[in-house]
Amino acid sequence: MKLRQTIVLLLVILLSATAAWAQQRTKIRYALGDVVSIDELPLLIAAERAKARGVDVEITAFKSEDVATQAVINGQADIGQGTPYAALQKVGAPIRFFYQLSALLFFPIVNKEFYKSWKDLDGQEIAVHTRGSGTEAIMNLAAKEHKIKYKNVSYVPGSQVRALALLKGNIKATILDASNKNMVMKEQPDKFLILPLGNVKASDEALFATREFLDKKQAGVRIFLEELTKVNRAINANPNWVLEERKKLGLLKDLPAKLEGEILPFYREAVQNGVFPNDGGGDSAAKNDLEFFRLSGALKGENLKVEDFWHLAPLKAALANVK
Amino acid sequence: MNRKEPILKRSLVWQLISFALFFGLWELAGRWPVSLAFPSFSKTFLALVRITADGSLPKAYLVTLQPLLIGIALCGIAGIGFGIGMGLSRAIEWASLPLFIILQAAPMAAIIPLITYIYGIGLTAKVLAVVFLAAPVVVMNSYKGIRNTNPSLIQMCRSFLGTRRQEVIKIILPHAGALIFAGLRLGLAMGFIGVVIAELLITPTGIGDLITYHSSVADYPEMFATIVSIIVIAALAIHGLERLEQKIFPPEIRGS
Repeated sequence: MKLRQTIVLLLVILLSATAAWAQQRTKIRYALGDVVSIDELPLLIAAERAKARGVDVEITAFKSEDVATQAVINGQADIGQGTPYAALQKVGAPIRFFYQLSALLFFPIVNKEFYKSWKDLDGQEIAVHTRGSGTEAIMNLAAKEHKIKYKNVSYVPGSQVRALALLKGNIKATILDASNKNMVMKEQPDKFLILPLGNVKASDEALFATREFLDKKQAGVRIFLEELTKVNRAINANPNWVLEERKKLGLLKDLPAKLEGEILPFYREAVQNGVFPNDGGGDSAAKNDLEFFRLSGALKGENLKVEDFWHLAPLKAALANVK
Repeated sequence: MNRKEPILKRSLVWQLISFALFFGLWELAGRWPVSLAFPSFSKTFLALVRITADGSLPKAYLVTLQPLLIGIALCGIAGIGFGIGMGLSRAIEWASLPLFIILQAAPMAAIIPLITYIYGIGLTAKVLAVVFLAAPVVVMNSYKGIRNTNPSLIQMCRSFLGTRRQEVIKIILPHAGALIFAGLRLGLAMGFIGVVIAELLITPTGIGDLITYHSSVADYPEMFATIVSIIVIAALAIHGLERLEQKIFPPEIRGS
């Protein structure tokens, strides 16, 4: 009889302890509009470190940023990643950006046989990601700066697809992200040329969520942002750190060897170009974004206000805890 | 004749009621709202008027119809020819039937991106996407139409000492006509699917561009209007062909 009572008592204690432990943990459903690859390593590292502090960041990869945004709008995900400024403005959803994960880094690249400078692109055809995308905005800003006009802008979604089309000769001038630019330059170094670009400052990936979520899960969001900031700072101090952490935490284990070799050059280049903000972007990132996305045509209207798009309190709370 | 008219009228009324019910439910769902990204019927309708008036929708259709028409024309000529060949010759059937059965079963949305690796991102790739989807239906229908010719009719032709040529031209082809035409109609339906998938998956042009662009800048009413317009146009085109089919091949011929 006594033994049975003890067992029951132990079970009750165990169950309530598990329940309490589960209750203390915060769950964040994170919608990623991309395939998980080497550029998501900072996010994966931060998620692992947040887990150790009681915040479970569940990352789901969606096919595109649009789908990920829909998931947040419809409440199937808590945090989304991307720059859906237009959706925020038009849907009128109470959704706000709160952290800049990375800044835009793109490279206009041309086939040397045909073009040698921006001036040569006057009256020529170029290919960008999609209509109204950041890549189109960058190319249009450059055209304005160099006083040229493209004959035609065709839309070829995906840097990788454009890189392949460039190598195959289907397109002669386009704009690529860092890893695909490196791939192209490695495959045929003598055939292509990267055109110089003025200073473009805008978010490539920013985090957004509903105000309701940000207010309700303040502690969890703060811990996650602290870890993201710490990861960015560590990478900026030493790009090699990504490799070490990946090994230590066992992230992206099934990465092909070819891609593995691209990790370090990718992060070195990103750090050199200031892609990862040490302070989560904040007010200045918000202002740059509003300016850039207004020029790109994604945002409409004058006098856009930061507070209509960004909620800066979570970042401030996190930065206060990170020395 | 007199009796027929009220029935026609009544069915028209029922059709209108069902449309009104559908659009009413849509309006309610949009206002409720089901999702912040789901526009009401009235908003979608206004968006449809807007994109038609500013010329972006008609322009998009000019682009989208190109690969569709080329693809369907190719299927109409080569596909039907091939299907007839397969129906008439055991050798052609043996060589190509498995290919079309596989094509019919293959998940096209997964295969279309592969086309880009070989044919790039231009018009060719989109025409191929249409052909890949439409050809199996067109070919298989023509083939079955030929194969299913009533054997007693063929026997009759032979007993009247008809040549093989007469057998094909006077018995088999007229008999298979209805099925071949039905194949063409189904092929057109598949062609619409193919061209939209191609424009969404390969490069956004025409209708695919309107859908992706409006969705990326969160103009959801415009996006829905575009989608609705392609559904309506596809449905009307297929319905038109069906009418034509009934006229050319009335049931008494088809039923033989």
